[in-house]
Amino acid sequence: MKSFQYATAASPAGARHLAGDNGRFLAGGIDLLGEMKEYISQPDILVNVKALPGLDRIEASTTAWTIGANVTISQLEENAELKRVFPALQQAAAEVGSKQIRNVATVGGNLAQHSRCWYYRHRDILCLKKGGDTCYARNADNKYHSLFTGNTCISPVVSNLAVALGALDATVVVQREDKPLRWSIAQFYAKAWENPTAHNSLEPGDLILKVEVPLAQQRSAYLQVSEKSAFDWALVSCAAAAKVEGGKFSKARIVLGAVSNVPHEVQAANDLLEGKVLDDGLAEKVADLLVAKAHAHSENGYKVPIARALIRRALTSLAA
Amino acid sequence: MPSWPEKRSYIGSLAKRVDAPAKVSGAAKYSSDVQPEGWLYGMILRSKWPKAKITKINLEKAARLPGIKAAVLAREGERIVRFYGEELAAVAGLTKQACLDALRAIEVEAQPLPFVVREEDAREESSPRVWDEQPNYSRPQPRDRGDVDKAFGECAAVVEGFYSTPVQIHHPLETHGNTISWTGDNLTAWSSTQGISSVRDGLAGNLNVPQNQVRVICEYMGGGFGAKFGPGVEGALAARLSQAAKAPVKLMLTRFDQALAVGNRPSSFQKIKMGATADGKLHAYQLESFGTAGIGAGSSEGGSGGAAFPAPYIYTVPNTRIAQASVAVDAGSARAFRAPGNPPASFGMESIMDDLAVKMDIDPVEFRLRNDPSEVRQKEYRLGAERFGWKQKYKKPGTSPGPIKTGVGCAGARWATGGGGTQAQAQVSPDGSIEIRCGTQDLGTGTKTVIAVIAADLLGLKPEQIQVRVGDTNYPPSGASGGSTTCPSVAPAICDLCTNVLQELQKHSGLAEVRGENWLAACKKLGVDPLLVSGKWQEGLSGSGAGGVQFAEVAVDTDTGFVKVKKITCIQDGGLIVSKLTCESQVNGGIIMGLGYALYEERIMDRHSGVLLNPNFETYKLPALADMPEIDVVLLDMPERGVIGIGEPVTIPTAAAIGNAVANALGVRVGSLPITPAKVLAALGKVDKPA
Repeated sequence: MKSFQYATAASPAGARHLAGDNGRFLAGGIDLLGEMKEYISQPDILVNVKALPGLDRIEASTTAWTIGANVTISQLEENAELKRVFPALQQAAAEVGSKQIRNVATVGGNLAQHSRCWYYRHRDILCLKKGGDTCYARNADNKYHSLFTGNTCISPVVSNLAVALGALDATVVVQREDKPLRWSIAQFYAKAWENPTAHNSLEPGDLILKVEVPLAQQRSAYLQVSEKSAFDWALVSCAAAAKVEGGKFSKARIVLGAVSNVPHEVQAANDLLEGKVLDDGLAEKVADLLVAKAHAHSENGYKVPIARALIRRALTSLAA
Repeated sequence: MPSWPEKRSYIGSLAKRVDAPAKVSGAAKYSSDVQPEGWLYGMILRSKWPKAKITKINLEKAARLPGIKAAVLAREGERIVRFYGEELAAVAGLTKQACLDALRAIEVEAQPLPFVVREEDAREESSPRVWDEQPNYSRPQPRDRGDVDKAFGECAAVVEGFYSTPVQIHHPLETHGNTISWTGDNLTAWSSTQGISSVRDGLAGNLNVPQNQVRVICEYMGGGFGAKFGPGVEGALAARLSQAAKAPVKLMLTRFDQALAVGNRPSSFQKIKMGATADGKLHAYQLESFGTAGIGAGSSEGGSGGAAFPAPYIYTVPNTRIAQASVAVDAGSARAFRAPGNPPASFGMESIMDDLAVKMDIDPVEFRLRNDPSEVRQKEYRLGAERFGWKQKYKKPGTSPGPIKTGVGCAGARWATGGGGTQAQAQVSPDGSIEIRCGTQDLGTGTKTVIAVIAADLLGLKPEQIQVRVGDTNYPPSGASGGSTTCPSVAPAICDLCTNVLQELQKHSGLAEVRGENWLAACKKLGVDPLLVSGKWQEGLSGSGAGGVQFAEVAVDTDTGFVKVKKITCIQDGGLIVSKLTCESQVNGGIIMGLGYALYEERIMDRHSGVLLNPNFETYKLPALADMPEIDVVLLDMPERGVIGIGEPVTIPTAAAIGNAVANALGVRVGSLPITPAKVLAALGKVDKPA
């Protein structure tokens, strides 16, 4: 990797200042170090944000849970109360990487991680996402790629937490220069839909501070299918959350991961469930709406039936 | 003549691996752990082009960087590189980062040339040629036996199928590499190798140094499966860097390097037609196949036999027509890979065996009993079916209820094995201690344990009393560890050696009984001079030819295509079992490797850029703990056959058995390895054609 300066920040403002024009924030470093080793990212300075006060805590109030950006994935995975209140989030955390990775990787890093597209990650390929002029995956090996995109790049967002947090209606709090921004998960990734070089909506210097998860819903679930049993990326993931009272769904949200450059959600699919009791036919209709505009490439059409199965299973588990 | 003892306390027992404490405590120093005084890192610059004419490589800038002590070219002058990752140059420096910086500072001038990296593209006449002088696709001459066309007409049932297997990359946990140090004109290499002698001879030849000035050491090594016999390009570069830098150089490949240039198992694409007569006997078989050994098997050391494989594998069919071809592509070449040719052969043949059995409504085990010519495998099928619960578990294909369907399958293996040509030496000291030296190498398979338990039984001692020294060319010569030959080569030599030790000790001590409790007293009579005794491989103590059958049980989620292997039962013959624990461990390893071949592993070459897309364990997927099935191993102890190696046969039938189990679960065949969710869903007709 390219040599770099190293500094530790004591406050978000200090972190922003230290990062300068070409700095990166270092928390778990799992994604960042991989990019640096392949010269995909070549920062002048790494700003250690692990010492920022308060960002490594999970706090519950009567209306919402606040999860600091430096909370590790293992902390989410092992929090028994979180598992009870937000099972989707706990399940999504438990499927991240390996135990060793989960012990180090953080909530902020998981949300902000960059594309895993094997063309993007390849040291000798300059693809569209890295500023080149071609998306190699479009006409070649795209079995891990997107069914939906708003631009030419078809590398999907792979954050498990984003999928679960999207369904749970979470807010991401980001420090931009001196003011905090409050983004929905959709807003956090919106730029990746438009811009092939973007992984999310963060600008250089933006620092994720925390995630707020409202205590609005009763039930949630996260499911993923990978090629391997563990320590593997999702081919497709799905999170669903809803209030279910007397069998009737309300305020349902269903989000798919690894099929689009943003967490994939279709409002009409959420709306269709409102006030209804789930049955096989309804689940199929919801799935129809979610995959209606899927555009399969040469190798990734199989993601459609997996997505449908996961939608059905996630909803069924909420109804049970 | 030496013979195996009738009464065996440690041979065939679960005696512990003698080097287990050293391994688990970290005391064991692998070749990649060795750090001679003043050592430098070595790293290799590789071609970014799948094919190019290299006109100039300028090392000057790199050589001047701080911390860099040497830079050498892989080859002088203009040259053509023929695959992404071919070696161009190498540097040695004080730190890894200095080397990485130096590699980026090397200036390479190249003219990119047209390339082809995929088998199906390379077969086209119009595709760029990998070698100018010959077409990529070697059009085969069909070989006929009997009258195939007539025979198909005589069959009661005929099936056709298309089966394919991927290029599998050599990924031992310890990558290829060496640490090389010169002292004057003498060179010492600590190598991660399957053949210390072959590395010595290779280095001597490469560097034009007499073999007696090259010493190769490999005390512990982290796995080798057929691609670690010679010093490799990386070994020769390390030696030249060390010479130029006048310091030891450690050049271990990175995982990225490992994926590109040190060998692989060729792919196979098999179009098979097979028929049987009404009594369920195979009668006609036709095969057209091709596969790739990359730029060519001949261009790499070790020799893999190219992309051909034995057909119709373990079965005897009276009428056959076989046409096998190879296709060259601009990608790293094949090398021998655990049972070369056999896993692809097994996958194609055992798949169509089941497809034909299903068509004829014959139970797959019964179909094999009618057709498998090996009495040993017949016995193993009967025993295995009973133990696995085949009768209870086997259902008609696709009839398992619910979306998650279970299925079972089986398959058999054959491997020649055999051994020879090992010498060993024992030094017996007056204090009763004994050291056995043998220039073999322990790949992790348990060779040291094998030596210890044999010596213990013959001498009436305990395995921990035997000091075993292997992995040094200063010891008496033994062969390379390949072809499942190590145990049948080494074990007889140790038996002979220990028989000689007893005779010599009797002679020198004047005692009639020197074993066991008399050992120390006998040794004391040696006075001050230790006893030095030799032994060598003898006829009659080892055998050849192993079979083996495996049964697989899987659960397949028909909504998501996810395959979970639940159980593998292996019944394996291996002659006289010498070390049961390490032997079972080898079986486990073979099954795990076969499981990876069945479900996960595949080299993926990008058609447009020509690069290898998955040079890491993130996307070149290997089985891990969570993917493990229950593994049930039964070793048939057949002492009358002598010692037989089993390292290779145990990996052969796993993928075929899993493939058959998946087909049994689904009611349709997934004929292509690896069996991924995408392929399962496609086979079930659940994937729409791409828009």
